[in-house]
Amino acid sequence: MAEIELRNLSKAWDASVAVDGIDLTLADGEFAAILGPSGCGKSTTLFMLSGVYTPTGGEIRFDGAVVNDVEPRDRNVGIVFQSYALYPNMSVLQNILFPLRFKQVDDADKRAREMAELVQITPLLDRRPSQLSGGQQQRVALARALVKRPNLLLLDEPLSNLDATLRLTMRAEIRRIVTELGVTTILVTHDQLEATTMADRVICMNAGRIEQTGSAEDLYLRPDTLFVAGFIGSPPMNLLAVDPSAAGLRLDVDGPVTLGLRPELLRAAETGVPATVSHVEPMGRETLYTAQSELGQVRFLEPTARPNWAFGDMLKLAFDPADTLLFAPDGQRVPDAHATWKDLAHA
Amino acid sequence: MTHSTTDWDALAHRARWQRQARTAAITLFLVAVSIPIILPYFWMVMIAFTARTGGAEADTLWTACAVLVPITIGYAVAYQMLSGRARLAAAGLALALAIALLFVFLGDALHVNNFRFLVNPNVVEELRGKATAGAQFPWVWSAFFNSLVLATVQMLIVVAVSTMAAYYLSRFHFMGRAAFLQSLLILQAFPAITLVIPIFLIVYWVGLLNTLTAPILVITTLELPFFIFIMKGFFDAVPWDTEMSALTDGATRRQAFRMVVLPQVTTGMIAIGVFAFIKGWEEYVFVTGLRTGNSYWVMSTYLYYVREDVMGVDYGLVAAVSVMYVLPSLILYLFAQKYLTQMTLGGVKG
Repeated sequence: MAEIELRNLSKAWDASVAVDGIDLTLADGEFAAILGPSGCGKSTTLFMLSGVYTPTGGEIRFDGAVVNDVEPRDRNVGIVFQSYALYPNMSVLQNILFPLRFKQVDDADKRAREMAELVQITPLLDRRPSQLSGGQQQRVALARALVKRPNLLLLDEPLSNLDATLRLTMRAEIRRIVTELGVTTILVTHDQLEATTMADRVICMNAGRIEQTGSAEDLYLRPDTLFVAGFIGSPPMNLLAVDPSAAGLRLDVDGPVTLGLRPELLRAAETGVPATVSHVEPMGRETLYTAQSELGQVRFLEPTARPNWAFGDMLKLAFDPADTLLFAPDGQRVPDAHATWKDLAHA
Repeated sequence: MTHSTTDWDALAHRARWQRQARTAAITLFLVAVSIPIILPYFWMVMIAFTARTGGAEADTLWTACAVLVPITIGYAVAYQMLSGRARLAAAGLALALAIALLFVFLGDALHVNNFRFLVNPNVVEELRGKATAGAQFPWVWSAFFNSLVLATVQMLIVVAVSTMAAYYLSRFHFMGRAAFLQSLLILQAFPAITLVIPIFLIVYWVGLLNTLTAPILVITTLELPFFIFIMKGFFDAVPWDTEMSALTDGATRRQAFRMVVLPQVTTGMIAIGVFAFIKGWEEYVFVTGLRTGNSYWVMSTYLYYVREDVMGVDYGLVAAVSVMYVLPSLILYLFAQKYLTQMTLGGVKG
């Protein structure tokens, strides 16, 4: 268990920069998630933490000590891959024992069995990885990563290969096990649900940089940048390039801006922005509509399983202007700036 | 809309009939083309056990074929329909039936006299007279032993070197890697026989002429590119994840290779080992090409010289030596069959 610190960490390949100077501090025992689209540098960061890649700039510190040049085997880091990466030539027990073979451990067998107990795979210890289901392999990989009591646990898209129901259970399971052991954990994922449900803190990355760090709520309600606004939330936030004079809105800032509004904050009402429904998507618990309006193309959600509107329906969309977010042309959110109606007729 | 008048039953009947006819035609064709390939082996075995005074009786051979061909086809059919232990039982039954029928039809003609070379070191001298052979012709076991050494040593070198080279090519990016891979394949384009003279000169200059070391090194060198390429396919198929996992679990690169990667490519190592062994076992060009006298004998040269006789060839003896020559590689193939068929799975990924 350790406090992890990244300072201006970078990794460049011949032609491209994968990670572009990121700063991050993780408290001992914290569970953080690095969230971002594929190619954003999150896996590269993970491999630098594990020691497989050497950083080309900046520092990685474990409890204050720089570990940039420390070999992976000496870092005491546990890692779980998306593919689980179990050793096919070994039994489950041998897999879990593997990390202890390189350490002077007297009670290796006992520790491995305790760990198997914790992740609930004791009946499977004699099997081969190929005889296990995805969820079981996941548990074995977790036990193997944790058995050496690592300073840091790295989870690389651990749930992506599981089916939806199993993913739900494993999310809670991993959280339970990690909390029980109190190990500092970094989860890398492109799935925002995974990140927000499991981690204390979410680090949103894009193009090698950290866009925003915060709680799930921070990222959802107060995205710092256009990228975060568009990436977090499903269906995504409506991001509208508004011409203030045309739309009947008054903005707190001058100049061209992008207006952000979550689909669930729009509702059909007596008064509002006129719109025509162009697409209807029933999603089970709710229905998602796409409509063409004066503000541009917008999506809005209604909490009914059965669609209230059909293609071509005309309606008026209302929203509370205080819920709107404004983003400057450089992609940064303008803090505490909102839109207001020019005349009260709309409200 | 008019009702369809399609007779679905008739169409299904026709499709079934066509499928069966096609399968039967293909099977017949395959059986027909395999006969010219399999017959020589039958004959080789039959000549070895029946030929007397240097000649083989055509009647005997055709009788043997009449017995063996139906049994073989019958076994092939049984093999398709049975599985597991039943297949083994069928093989035993077919073998017993073949031997029994051969005894019934050819009882008088069968004998093992042609195999006397196995126990008599001077069989060739007796055949040709001491004067012609010059007492230089070895006992077959010495040639057998040399072949075994040649094939085994060369197999061990091939497996060790190609495994390590292929791992490096698969996992490390170094300058000239692509060019190296391409040149591996280009090397295969040259027929080995065109190299005999230059290689002879090199071997002469380094003083390895007339030693078994020379063919071992030369054959190994010529085979390596191909086997490296095959092994690279196997390493490419081992996920990078397991190796990274081993490194973070505390293994050194070498330990990760030995404990995690190598066990996943054993199939490939066995496969190339078998092929390398058989290559060495059957080698003729470089074992004859790199000796100037009778400095060493291997099975291929032994077989070649057994055939040379001033008074005409003793076909019985030649066939018997051939049977002995074929057996080791045949046995090896049978045991390694499972691995050899997997070779393409690893290999095609290049």
